[in-house]
Amino acid sequence: MTAPLLVAAQPQASFVPDSAGGDFIQLRDVYKSYGEGLVVMDHLNLDMRADDRLVIIGPSGSGKSSLLRVMMGLESIQGGTISFQGKSYIDGNARNHGKPLDVRLQTQVGMVFQHYTLFPHLSVLSNLILAPMKVHGLSKVQATEKARLFLARLGLESKLNAYPSQLSGGQKQRVAIARALMLEPKLMLFDEVTSALDPEMVTEVQNVMMQLAEEKMAMIIVTHDMHFARNIASRVVFCANGKVVEQGPPAQIFTQPKEPRTREFLEKVLHLD
Amino acid sequence: MQLDFMVVFSYWQVLAKGLALTLAFTVSCAVLGSVCGFLLSLLRLSKSPLIRIPTGLYVELFRGTPLLIQLFWIFFCLPVVFGISVPPYVSVVLALTLYMTAITSETFRGALKSIPSEQHDACTALGVASWNKVFYVIFPQALLRAVPPLLSNVVSLFKESALISSVGIADLMFVGQNISNSTARPVEFLSAVAVIYFLVAFPLTRLVGVIETRMLRRYAY
Repeated sequence: MTAPLLVAAQPQASFVPDSAGGDFIQLRDVYKSYGEGLVVMDHLNLDMRADDRLVIIGPSGSGKSSLLRVMMGLESIQGGTISFQGKSYIDGNARNHGKPLDVRLQTQVGMVFQHYTLFPHLSVLSNLILAPMKVHGLSKVQATEKARLFLARLGLESKLNAYPSQLSGGQKQRVAIARALMLEPKLMLFDEVTSALDPEMVTEVQNVMMQLAEEKMAMIIVTHDMHFARNIASRVVFCANGKVVEQGPPAQIFTQPKEPRTREFLEKVLHLD
Repeated sequence: MQLDFMVVFSYWQVLAKGLALTLAFTVSCAVLGSVCGFLLSLLRLSKSPLIRIPTGLYVELFRGTPLLIQLFWIFFCLPVVFGISVPPYVSVVLALTLYMTAITSETFRGALKSIPSEQHDACTALGVASWNKVFYVIFPQALLRAVPPLLSNVVSLFKESALISSVGIADLMFVGQNISNSTARPVEFLSAVAVIYFLVAFPLTRLVGVIETRMLRRYAY
C-alpha cells in the first residue's frame, strides 16, 4: 500500500521545473486597477504548468493577493485574458466584466484564505460536506464518508463534530484546506494562509501544503515566509507594481537574483526575518 | 398613612388576567413583527429604489415617532380617514406589530450586514452560490447574531405595551391603575404592577447576556 493521498486524481505531466512556459494557466496582458491611482495588475503575463507550484513574492500592494482573488473569481479584471486548462476562463473584455466565464472551471479552483473563513455556525463535518452536497450533488452519506477520509489523513478525525470556535488556528486552517480539497480542485490558491497563525502552528499547516506538493497538486501561493517559499516552490515569481519583475527556480531567485528590484526586496525581507 | 401590601394578594386573579392579556399582545405582536421585520429587512436590501425608499420611509417614520402617537393615530384617526370601523383589539395589534416590524427590520438589517465579506468569499470559492449561500451560510449566521437584539426588542415591546391601557384595553397596566383608583391604594398597586413587569422582563434581559456570552461565542464568531 502506498501512503494515503490527499489529492484524488491528477493529470500526469512530465516535470520540468525550470520551464517558465506552460499551458495549464496563461495570463495575457491582464489589467486590473482600483480607481485611477492603484494599478494592481499592469498588463501582466504569466504561465503555469499543471505540476507547477508558483510562489508569488513582492512588496505589499504589488497585486499578489489580487492575482489569487481574480483566479478564484472573487474580483474582476478590466483587460486581458486568462485561460485555464486550455480553455478560455476569464476575459477582461467580456460582458460579465472580467469574471469567470465557466462555472465548472471555477469549481476546479480551490482557495484557502488568511483568516480561515470556516462557517462558524456549522460543525467541521458540515463545513466539509456543504459544497460537495450542494455543488457536486453527493449524497450526505457519500460526502460524510469522503470528509472522514480527508480528516483522517490530516489527523483531525477527532474534530469531526467540533465547531470552528473550538479549534486552534492551525486546526482551523487544516480544516479549511480539507474543505477546499473535498471538491477535488485542479488548482489550489493559498493567500497568506499562515500569516494569522501563532508561530508554533505554522509548521502543521505548511506540512499539509508540502504533502500536497509531493502529490503534484498545482498551487499558487502568496506568502511572506521566504524559507517556506524556497522549500515548496517549483518557481518563484517576484511581482512589483502589477508586473512580473523576475521569475525562476527558488535557488536562483533567492541566491542570484538578476534584477536589482528583486535583490533590494529580498535584502529587506530576509534582513527583517 | 398606613401601607398594606397584603391587600394586593386579594386581587391576584384580576392582576393575573391583566398580565395574561399583556403577554398575549406581546407574544403575538412580537412573532408577527419579527416575521414582517425579517421580510422587510430583505426588501430594504433591494437594488430598486421603488422598494427601498418607501420601506426606508416606513421604518424611519415608526422609529422616529412615539409609540403612543402611533397607537392613538391608528385607534382614532384611521377609522375617520378611511371611514372604516376597526375593533379596538385589532387596532392595538396593528399598532404594536407595525412598531415591532420597524425596529426588528433594523435588527435584521444590521445582522445581515455584520456577516463579514470573507464568508461570501468562502462561498464563492466553494461554488456555493445564490440560494444555497443565502439559506445555508448567510441567513443562519444573521439569525444567530440577531437573537440578542431581537430579545431586547421583545422586552421593549413588553414594557411599551403598557401604553395600550390608554385606549381602554384591560391589560396589566389598565387593571393595576383601576384597582389603585377604586381602592385608593396607588402605592401598593402601582408598586405591585411594577414588580410584576420587572419579574417578567428581568429574566429575559438576563437571557440576552447568557446568549451573547455562550451561544454566540460558540456558533457565530
